[in-house]
Amino acid sequence: MSTSTVIGTLDDESLPPERTRRQRRRAAHNVEPSSHHRGPVWTALGYVGMVLVVLLVAVPLFWILITSFKDRGDIYVRPAQWWPSPATSDNYHELTTRIPFFDYVRNSVIITSATAVAKIVLGVLSAYALSLLRFPGRSVVFLVVIAALMVPNQITVISNYALVAQLGWRNTFQGIIIPLAGVAFGTFLMRNQFLSLPGEIIEAARLDGAGPMKLLWRVVMPMSWPTLVAFSLITVVNEWNEYLWPYLMSDDETTATLPVGLTFLQNNDGVTNWGPVMAGTILAMLPILVLFLFLQRQMIKGLTAGAVKS
Amino acid sequence: MNEFSRRGFLGLAGAAGVAGLAACAGTGTAPSSGGNGGGASSNTIEFWSNHPGNSKPVEQQIIKAFEAANPNLKVKLVDAGKNYEEVAQKFNASLAGGQLPDVVVVSDVTWFNFALNKQLAPLDDLLSAAKIDTSDYVDALYNDYNLDDKHFALPFSRSTPLFYYNKDLWKAAGLEDRGPKDWDEFLTWAPKLKAAAGSDKVVMELPDGSNYLDWVFQNMVWGYGGAYSKEWTPTFSDPNTVKAGKYLQDLAKNGFLKLSKDPAPDFTAGIVGCSMMSTGSLGGVAKDAKFDVGTAFLPGDGNCPTGGAGVGIPANITDERKKNALKFIEFLTNAQNTVTFTQATGYMPVRKSAVDLPEEKAFLEKNPNAKTAIEQLPKTRSQDNVRVLLPGGGARIGKALDQVVQGQDVATVFKALDAESQQVFDSQIKSKLGA
Repeated sequence: MSTSTVIGTLDDESLPPERTRRQRRRAAHNVEPSSHHRGPVWTALGYVGMVLVVLLVAVPLFWILITSFKDRGDIYVRPAQWWPSPATSDNYHELTTRIPFFDYVRNSVIITSATAVAKIVLGVLSAYALSLLRFPGRSVVFLVVIAALMVPNQITVISNYALVAQLGWRNTFQGIIIPLAGVAFGTFLMRNQFLSLPGEIIEAARLDGAGPMKLLWRVVMPMSWPTLVAFSLITVVNEWNEYLWPYLMSDDETTATLPVGLTFLQNNDGVTNWGPVMAGTILAMLPILVLFLFLQRQMIKGLTAGAVKS
Repeated sequence: MNEFSRRGFLGLAGAAGVAGLAACAGTGTAPSSGGNGGGASSNTIEFWSNHPGNSKPVEQQIIKAFEAANPNLKVKLVDAGKNYEEVAQKFNASLAGGQLPDVVVVSDVTWFNFALNKQLAPLDDLLSAAKIDTSDYVDALYNDYNLDDKHFALPFSRSTPLFYYNKDLWKAAGLEDRGPKDWDEFLTWAPKLKAAAGSDKVVMELPDGSNYLDWVFQNMVWGYGGAYSKEWTPTFSDPNTVKAGKYLQDLAKNGFLKLSKDPAPDFTAGIVGCSMMSTGSLGGVAKDAKFDVGTAFLPGDGNCPTGGAGVGIPANITDERKKNALKFIEFLTNAQNTVTFTQATGYMPVRKSAVDLPEEKAFLEKNPNAKTAIEQLPKTRSQDNVRVLLPGGGARIGKALDQVVQGQDVATVFKALDAESQQVFDSQIKSKLGA
């Protein structure tokens, strides 16, 4: 059996709603007097709108970037300075000398990668069990998972703290990572993804003699790449930015993460020197940006992977 | 059959994983022994601090000196959060699960709840056992931590508000180079300042209700003879308190006053004529501002509220640890170290004898603005109970003040505040007092 034929039916199934949407869109256009070729006014307005949205997103980021290169005295001035003059790298120097910045980076990388891997593996495996394998009590287990999703982690923080502190795990990596590795959201998301796969393919693979692991790796996972990548990306970004738990658990730079470390640049009673804070924000943002660019390509690859014959 | 068992195994494995995840939300059992409450060895002192005013290097310096003076003791400085509230949160978490610190930073707002629930140790017996003379602490600061005639913390990073003004604007308005004597005098100045400032600048900017307006506003209330409360009885409906509220409202109505999240940036940028801000802002403002910064006492006499934080000792640690902790606290806040600490941060020296030290004299000579703050110190007054000691007091009053500034009727808002405060007191504090 070739998977491509089955994918073909999948495509056929998805076509009708697509067509109606297109028809609807066309119908909507027909209502307007200038049906196909929009007038130059509309085009211009469209561009203005796009520029506005871009500015809305880009200006704060731009402001962070230029502030990180400004002299301290140039940050609060009126009229605002839109280009750092003179530009200085002092803020970056201060950032790396005033706090143990690279220790925080190392901790962030360790904690983020460990929790992300744990969450993804747990999420995929548990979702697979809950969607495609049959065993007694499956729906009860699923309900428990969903219930866990409903409890915000701020509520469990105190009891988690008690548990971990009694294990003597305060200020250790396992103390930070293990309680964060629970992943009701991933289970839920991946289960729904797996359930949306056409049953015919699963059945065909089973008939062809694929065992559970093979079914997961060779059939289910390749069709679920986009969801998995999206889930991974969300997970990594969340873990990278996680604040509450690492701050409660860590005592110093041996385990504290970047978001926790950066707060020590801010002055809690008085005036903060924002230059180094902005420099830290830029440096903390970069790894995630790179990862996003990389995973974005993967996401598109995943979208097209099943659709063409290899 | 083979197929089934493998599938069953996987399913079980998945289920076990899920159960594991759910278990992560479990609770710990209560600490086994009330005595030691954690694994820290008794000659290591854990100091939980948020390093107020970016003071980590100074704290480390003081710790080093302490360890040199006491070779058998070690101090572990712990990053316990970015502000006082976070330290309180982390301390709260540790109370549930053991591993208590030896010394913890508690702010004027956070200490009381811990003291009330017997989570902080009363220090008086410890102090007298260690023969520490407390009369050298600045009285208003020392007595801020008083509950039922027991003291639950010693002052550490203490600040007061100061009246900051833009000297250039003062000159342009033809005013004397000083702060207003009282708020009535300020009202006669405000139109002149407004005329000199022009339309794009604001005469006075204060922090809004979620950022300590309730702290600095106490000065206005006291200035008009009112108060937030007398002991535990809320007195917002007192005619004098209402008068102060109306004064604040009129300032805003006439366009003299603006509230913002943080007035410091606007003041430093030169678009605000004056403000009431913490002494902790002194260093930063002086460094950033491109004009001549003036400081003065808050208007009125003896109307300046205290603020900032002290250091306390958890109740549930061994006596041995408490003794060592107190030794460290005494060292941290002695005349010499309070001078070192405050010169690096902009806080107030907490010892009376500190101002007589030669290095402090030299420092004040060079920093007249810091001198203003220290000279104001004897004129400070401990804050009213309903703001600092009632749970959520600051936020509650701040919200009401925001409403007042937006133009709602002062008497109505303050009356509601009275009732609300009373109710919180009755339900959460009353039964625990004197127990």
